[in-house]
Amino acid sequence: MGDFLNFLQNNLADFWTYTGFYNATVGHVVMILVGIFFIYLAVAKEFEPMLLIPIGFGILVGNIPFNLDAGLQVGIYEEGSVLNILYQGVTSGWYPPLIFLGIGAMTDFSALISNPKLMLIGAAAQFGIFGAYIAALWLGFDPMQAASIGIIGGADGPTAIFLSSKLAPNLMGAIAVSAYSYMALVPVIQPPVMRLLTTKKERLIRMKTPRAVSHTEKVMFPIVGLLLTCFLVPSGLPLLGMLFFGNLLKESGVTRRLAETARGPLIDTITMLLGLTVGASTQASEFLTWDSLKIFALGAFSFIVATASGVLFVKIFNLMLKKDDKINPLIGNAGVSAVPDSARISQIVGAEYDPGNYLLMHAMGPNVAGVIGSAVAAGVLLGFLV
Amino acid sequence: MKKLKNGIFLSLLLLVGLASCTDKKPASKLVINEVLTDNVSNFQDDYGVHSGWIEIFNKAYSTEDLAGCLIKVSSTPGDTVTYFIPKGDVLTSIPPRQHSLFWADGAPRRGTFHTNFVLSKTDDNWIGLYDSGRNLMDEIVVPGGILKANQSYARVTDGAEEWEVKDDSEEKYVTPSTNNQTIESNPKMENFEHHDPIGIGMTITAMCVVFVGLILLYVCFRFVGKLAVKLRKRNAMKVHNVTDKDEAKERGFGEAPGEVIAAITMALHEAQGADHDVEETILTISRVKRSYSPWSSKIYTLRETPHRK
Repeated sequence: MGDFLNFLQNNLADFWTYTGFYNATVGHVVMILVGIFFIYLAVAKEFEPMLLIPIGFGILVGNIPFNLDAGLQVGIYEEGSVLNILYQGVTSGWYPPLIFLGIGAMTDFSALISNPKLMLIGAAAQFGIFGAYIAALWLGFDPMQAASIGIIGGADGPTAIFLSSKLAPNLMGAIAVSAYSYMALVPVIQPPVMRLLTTKKERLIRMKTPRAVSHTEKVMFPIVGLLLTCFLVPSGLPLLGMLFFGNLLKESGVTRRLAETARGPLIDTITMLLGLTVGASTQASEFLTWDSLKIFALGAFSFIVATASGVLFVKIFNLMLKKDDKINPLIGNAGVSAVPDSARISQIVGAEYDPGNYLLMHAMGPNVAGVIGSAVAAGVLLGFLV
Repeated sequence: MKKLKNGIFLSLLLLVGLASCTDKKPASKLVINEVLTDNVSNFQDDYGVHSGWIEIFNKAYSTEDLAGCLIKVSSTPGDTVTYFIPKGDVLTSIPPRQHSLFWADGAPRRGTFHTNFVLSKTDDNWIGLYDSGRNLMDEIVVPGGILKANQSYARVTDGAEEWEVKDDSEEKYVTPSTNNQTIESNPKMENFEHHDPIGIGMTITAMCVVFVGLILLYVCFRFVGKLAVKLRKRNAMKVHNVTDKDEAKERGFGEAPGEVIAAITMALHEAQGADHDVEETILTISRVKRSYSPWSSKIYTLRETPHRK
């Protein structure tokens, strides 16, 4: 009997060493609180719920403490575990292009086609990427890491994950979480910068109504877009190719079922897997470092620079335009490619000063140009550094 | 007429396509990368024997299989020996940018990677690599006489055009089954670190490329847009039987009609939440009236209890 009780006691003691309570560290608790905070932001404040719920829950999943030496094959960094297999889509970089396929199938480029000069705003806002690149170099990151951090300023989660998986895989978790967090915080970050850099007169500018765009133009856009951008930056092919392919499915008008799958079930599935695995990749032991904190600070900086450069570019551009063609600088922030949130911010801030001024359709132009611009910038960085 | 135009266009396309075809041999993915003829104390095989060897490199970024390929060797005219690389050995698959080493020991029974020939230590060795369809993939003449014991003849770097003698010195070392030159750093990154420590160069160049890309799109779609407006105007003029351009401009042909703009504005207005009035929050529970039907009547759906008579 005594032996049996001893056996049970040893078994229980052994089991205890496998539990989360035994293996928990302060880092785990901190990360679990971060995950709960993300879920709170998504549910209570409705900040990017489609991203923050999977990421927030993923953080919880990734930070359940367990005995790392036991070889249970449950952790995301343990080869062969289920989470590790799902994580392959992030590390090998095939989730982001599939997300771009869906984005292409749901994006209407009409605003851009009707007023193509808005594309230049999308290009100007990419200064955020390089502002953060310079700052990251200054903080001691090497050029590859700095480029991966800088791309947060492109405000494009899939692009950030794609580039960091190639250039700095060890920083990918922090970069992805930072990119998605700041995309969710666009309504907080952008308006003060926009108000600071514009005068009341500029905020009241009413833009010309965009012209109607023909079906032929819409079909031509993805084809010409792909050829022009990818001939220039072939390294951007996975992202740009899928973006324009998705758009052609939508605009061709003859592949409705494919377009609906791409912008519906496909993008939803990939978003869930991407969010969950990126969240789960933030294991406290890997994530809670000084580098992560620096990345978060640089991410905020890059968003501010991107917003400011978009707004300032419009102001400078206006000096060259005729009175009737002037652009409202409040759409400059939309060059940051957080689609469609930053365009929505242009509309909201614009409406504060002139409720009858509908800027949303104009802001969608630089917004989708920003998507193209950030993918091109990622391609350039990849081409330069690999 | 339309068919004729299409015919001319397709013919021209075919002509251009044919003109762009050249006799140039497609670049082979598998190449001979390094050869050592006189092995005295260099790399030894699994049997502990020092033999000459031939290293094959997969230049591609995909796995390539050597099974069924041929290695031909000749040191004097007319004495070509052919080694058929056996099929059925998984090790003949070479992963992307990796190497495979064949022992020139004349002992093919020792395994897939032991050939049926020996390389001449004094004469020139011609080595040819053929695919399973007997097409030459790569060939090299290893000069005899200039190679001393334990020295190899190799491409300067993996897959490069230039060859050199690797004399096992500090810079030119013999590398069986590994890269001909060990890459110890990322030269591109080091260049940036050295020439552009602040990042200004990268910023200027990369932003120029981003702007060029989007300016090209802008120019293209500005032209396409103008063309589309012109075409729409011309079609509208045709439909309305108007020939005067000023009149067409006055009537706004080719521009978005007012109704379209009104519809967009209305949609935006609704999207901002204007389509909802203030909802009443009082819940009223009213009795649901069910009309009688024998189909839903309980009495008809119950079985009668069996009773004894």
